[in-house]
Amino acid sequence: MQRTLLFETFRFSIIFLIIALTLVPTLWMVSMAFKPIQEWSASGGDLTWWPKNPTLDNFRFIFGESSSELIVALERGAGRPILASLLSATFGTLIAMVAGTTAAYGLSRFNSGRNLPLALIQLRLFPPMAVMIPVMIMWAFLGLTDTWWGLALIYGIVTLPFAFWLMKTFFDDMPREIEDAALVEGCSRFRVFLKITLPMMRPALASSALFVFILNWSDYLIALLLTTRDWVTIPVYMASLSSSMTGQLYGAKAALGLIAAIPPVVMGIAIQKHLVRGLTFGALKE
Amino acid sequence: MASISFKNVSKRFGDNLALDNVSFEVKDNAFFCLFGPPLCGKSTILKIILGLIDPDEGEVLIDGRSVAGVAPAQRNIAMVFQNLALFPHMSAEQNVRFPLAERGVDPLEISNRVAEVAEKLNITHILSKPPSQLSGGERQRVAIARALVRDPNAYLMDDPISALDARLREQTRVELRRIQQELGKTLVYVTHDQEEAMSVADTMAIMEDGKIRQTGTPVDLYDSPNSTYVAKMLGSPAMNILPLDFAGKGKPISFSGNTPKTAISIGIRPEDLEIKLAKPSNGASVVNVEPLGSFTTLMLDTSGKQLLATLRGQTKIQTGDHVAIMVNPERAHFFDKSGAAAQAAG
Repeated sequence: MQRTLLFETFRFSIIFLIIALTLVPTLWMVSMAFKPIQEWSASGGDLTWWPKNPTLDNFRFIFGESSSELIVALERGAGRPILASLLSATFGTLIAMVAGTTAAYGLSRFNSGRNLPLALIQLRLFPPMAVMIPVMIMWAFLGLTDTWWGLALIYGIVTLPFAFWLMKTFFDDMPREIEDAALVEGCSRFRVFLKITLPMMRPALASSALFVFILNWSDYLIALLLTTRDWVTIPVYMASLSSSMTGQLYGAKAALGLIAAIPPVVMGIAIQKHLVRGLTFGALKE
Repeated sequence: MASISFKNVSKRFGDNLALDNVSFEVKDNAFFCLFGPPLCGKSTILKIILGLIDPDEGEVLIDGRSVAGVAPAQRNIAMVFQNLALFPHMSAEQNVRFPLAERGVDPLEISNRVAEVAEKLNITHILSKPPSQLSGGERQRVAIARALVRDPNAYLMDDPISALDARLREQTRVELRRIQQELGKTLVYVTHDQEEAMSVADTMAIMEDGKIRQTGTPVDLYDSPNSTYVAKMLGSPAMNILPLDFAGKGKPISFSGNTPKTAISIGIRPEDLEIKLAKPSNGASVVNVEPLGSFTTLMLDTSGKQLLATLRGQTKIQTGDHVAIMVNPERAHFFDKSGAAAQAAG
């Protein structure tokens, strides 16, 4: 009994520690987003866990107005970067998922291009920097620099291997007989894909899309190199939030970070019910 | 209505020869059973009939016409898959409707046909449920319903009732036989259960390692197997196969009759052995007695070789008793060195 109690204490302290390591920084960000400058800046000398005078100043500030005399209002608000991030990450995810899913299906079913899977994963072995300089030149040549569609295109290309590999594993695990049955019952190959495979793969598609979206959403390097002004994304914009008087604008960064956390969280919650359901539950006899 | 025939069909998967020069013919309206151990190529044959895989060599004819290059959907053959392969994202009803809906059948007609087949297979009450909420037996019936709902040239079934418990299996196979006769359709049925194969088939083919070893009616195959392999595959308990010098006058198995010249072994079905209590001299001893009600299985030991004998009803013979074994020459089978049946010499 004693030993069990000791063990349980130990177990829960470890769990508590892990949770603290993960959640306290997040909590800190949330609390900082609602603090006035005196509370979040070191110059105020008054660091607290919870905002003493909660305010939405930080949010107002990043959208272009300033209520504090200490900081000059921003020349450009966060609205445009948020739009840039949403557009580039969403369409980048779309490109990666459409191309990745169809490629994965083809390779999984017809075993054509046997070296392609490895070639695709090799794309990820390059240090991104080595690839990005040529990409910058190409994008400049094509007129894609500093556009959301240029960014979406490169996001789609960069995350394609992930989408491909995730979907290929799911397709490989799907029992062939279900598709065979549909073929026998009168479907063409393409119709089988649309009517049987894709609906069955909904959980797989949802989780892969979420994963790819998060990768695109949190990119900094590519956006830094390929956007300059009109279509900078949230991470790039966030890095630029500083002032000559106070240095890094942590309050504003925290507010923006809080906003940036919303889309992945919403997506995650939205697809949760698909994630917990088994892929082929009930289709086969055990 | 369709006959199906295979002419010298071979299929390789990598280095593995899945089908080796297979030829057979399924007559129109026949209940044809492919029987063999797992992985002997039974399912491959079905997939080739369906057009899901193409043979490397040889020809497949349906109704006398070669089906090379004909897509599965155009062959109009229905299939019940071994793992059922129900569509998990559809309800049982949608599963059963699927083949008709895909062929653009009139919705009213679909509803009638679905209702009819659901009635026949007793699944009307579960039609609205998804496969995940059905029991194994219910899923099986839904899968069979999906195959029966349309009007194909032939039905193929890959071990469809193996997941059911023994009693339900016996019922279902009788039911399948009845449905097949009612529909008057060709049915190719795959199983690894010899009792099931013998009970339902008009004609059966016994397979081993991608080859068909013998084709014929169940009774033919049982009474005149062409090899020790076929002899052992059918019948439970299996046929006793002994070196020839165990049988003859004054030998452990008393036998008087001609033996073919090439024969090296003799095969006797357990029910063909005649057993009598005897003195402990030249005979055999009883090692074990299994009273199974309608018959009794005896395990006999004769000079180190073990034999199984079945006697009708119950017996007074007990473990430890000594017995004399006799066999009617007409019920004995002979096999040569290669295991093939040896022809009786005149």
